[in-house]
Amino acid sequence: MNAKLGTTFMSLALLLIAVPVWAHHAFSAEYDASKPLTLKGKVTKWELVNPHSWIHIDVVGPDGKVTPWMVEGGSPNSLLRNGFTKNSLPAGTEIVVEGYQAKDGANRAVGKDITYSDGKRLFLGGSAPGAGGGENP
Amino acid sequence: MKHLYFAPVCALTIAIVLLSSVNAMGQAKAYTPPKTADGVPDLQGIWSMLTNVPLERPANLGAKEFYTPEELAAQAQRAAAGGRAAAPTQPGTTADVHYDLSQFGLDRGHATVASSNRTSLIVGPEGKVPPLLAEAQKRQQERAAFQREHQWDGPETRPLTERCILWASEGPPMLAPGYNSNLQIVQGPGYVGIMQEMIHDVRIIPTDGRAHLPQGVRQWFGDSRGHWEGNTLVVDTTNFTDRTAFRGSTEKLHVIERFTRTGEETIKYEFTVEDPSAWAKPWSAEINWAKTTGPIFEYACQEANYGMANNLSGARATEKKAAEAANKASQEQQ
Amino acid sequence: MQIGFKSWMLLAATVAAGLLFTRIPSKAQGGAAAQAQTYRAPRTADGKPNLNGIWQALNEANWDLEAHAASQGPVLALGAQFSVPPGVGVVEGGAIPYKPEALAKKKENFANRTKEDPEVKCYMGGVPRSTYMPYPFQIIQGTGTIMMAYEYAGGVRIINMGKPTEAPVDSWMGWSNGRWEGDTLVIDVTGLNDQTWFDRAGNYHSDALHVVERYTPRSADTLMYEATIEDPNVFTRSWKISMPLYRRVEKNAQILEYKCPEFAEDMLYGHLRKQPSK
Repeated sequence: MNAKLGTTFMSLALLLIAVPVWAHHAFSAEYDASKPLTLKGKVTKWELVNPHSWIHIDVVGPDGKVTPWMVEGGSPNSLLRNGFTKNSLPAGTEIVVEGYQAKDGANRAVGKDITYSDGKRLFLGGSAPGAGGGENP
Repeated sequence: MKHLYFAPVCALTIAIVLLSSVNAMGQAKAYTPPKTADGVPDLQGIWSMLTNVPLERPANLGAKEFYTPEELAAQAQRAAAGGRAAAPTQPGTTADVHYDLSQFGLDRGHATVASSNRTSLIVGPEGKVPPLLAEAQKRQQERAAFQREHQWDGPETRPLTERCILWASEGPPMLAPGYNSNLQIVQGPGYVGIMQEMIHDVRIIPTDGRAHLPQGVRQWFGDSRGHWEGNTLVVDTTNFTDRTAFRGSTEKLHVIERFTRTGEETIKYEFTVEDPSAWAKPWSAEINWAKTTGPIFEYACQEANYGMANNLSGARATEKKAAEAANKASQEQQ
Repeated sequence: MQIGFKSWMLLAATVAAGLLFTRIPSKAQGGAAAQAQTYRAPRTADGKPNLNGIWQALNEANWDLEAHAASQGPVLALGAQFSVPPGVGVVEGGAIPYKPEALAKKKENFANRTKEDPEVKCYMGGVPRSTYMPYPFQIIQGTGTIMMAYEYAGGVRIINMGKPTEAPVDSWMGWSNGRWEGDTLVIDVTGLNDQTWFDRAGNYHSDALHVVERYTPRSADTLMYEATIEDPNVFTRSWKISMPLYRRVEKNAQILEYKCPEFAEDMLYGHLRKQPSK
């Protein structure tokens, strides 16, 4: 029976379909897989820019010294389409970043997972474990 | 040649809005698209190019070009029941050094995907890109070898995406990037404007029948000329540079695209690619696009491309460390 | 010889008729604007003023918005090829009304312009600079949306012609809500970041910048462009620039690619090369 050509909005679990994935050379060149870290600090600025967004935080050391760090994240465009705005992560918010440190020793990290200090995940949920799997850096 | 490895990509959340089921090609009921005020078919709007159909057909499917409605339903059921989640990455590995796509809504669960019953985007019994001609293959290999040796020398040896010159998928032909796979079409008298989200690139396609640019003028996107055939916009593109290198193509690349509105919320996008210096014969593909909610936000790549400086800085730091270690080793031997 | 009464009457009638049908050009301020008001643009198929086409400014505004004499360019090796041409200025009233501390910043920008001008780095021109950079741009009027595509760095703006919406984020090319006022396209631009400059002379703004543009058809092949600029962080009051825009009338006029990231790579990343260029 003829069915109308139409659109089904769904995300299929791609059990059979493989999609090429670029090896994350760029990230692995910038950040050190052997230098995992956890940072806890207060947001000073959220840069909603492309190709990667950046969260700037002030981390207070055990000696009380404040060190600014910048944490690399993904393109903000989808967050914006999901209703987030530049005011969604106000300065002063405390966050916890699990990630890897820059190879050149700078106070820069890629944030593999970011939560509020109460453990609640930042931005969008999703129960997916693992960080990679995308087709773009 | 970029390093490719294949990994299953699975959706995380499922939002099903079933408007109608998909039919095999050729049996679609004729749809009359609305017209713009100028009297041409209206393709305007914001469209998602993302598809679950791979470019090339999985080997085990042979010449099978379409899934049956039953097979599609079974796939949907498995998806609804909760597909296999993305394999977790191991801490301390290269794959783990990355932000979480789903945290930023860049995973497929947050995207609009048009349905299709195709087993591959490439049409025909083979469903594969034809093999590169010997000379083109040699050129690819030489480029890949050079890349391996020089990939961190400077910005010029980095991929075009990293340089914010061109996203790999922009084409033409246009293929969906992994995320932000959206484009916006605006039609004015005698022109069709197509803006792809990555990297905010605009293709301005005149439909007044003018000739292509002179042969000596080459562009990353080539030079496009359009005309209407019934309800289909046909776009002919030539004048590519030899650096665009779509899957090994040369400056002789010639792309013909066809855009047809197939429903209120769908466009069928077809393309044929030919390059007598790259492939023995042309090859074609067909992709369904779905209307999606925008807006398309600015993807200003060059302007905040900290990554280029950071990557090169990281590469120099790694070299320096290696050089210091080598020095130390040779000193200890003395 | 005597001129008869009838002849005088005929003469008077002719003169009166002549006066009746002659429009004496007004000496009101902004002669060009007055002329623009009398020109009615052709309409698009959906009844809107037709501003479709490829346009370009023809002035020295991108060098310096304010009136200026010729001067040595920033690259000595390029001599007279790339020195600053003189300009009568496009700022209504003459000077940009900087706050004193902001003027100091402008001077600092000027001193560092070869490194700091976003145009050197292939960063998009923002608004209003994109309008008067020495490259053409194209207006494509669609249904409910106008696309403005700029040749320089492939800049693009999508003008929302429906119900105005609010910018959730700042961007290089801003957030544009447009409407028609008679023949004039009025665009309200917010959501501009603080990264762009107004010209090569270091004139700048903060992220509080608010621009209202007016595109008024002046003749078949010209538009009058006006932009009112407001930024309480930098200026003591709002100010305005205006200039004509000229249609690129050549039959094969086309926006070509000016993908400039690679042209800026040496100055941005040369020092990080394996073999540093500087």
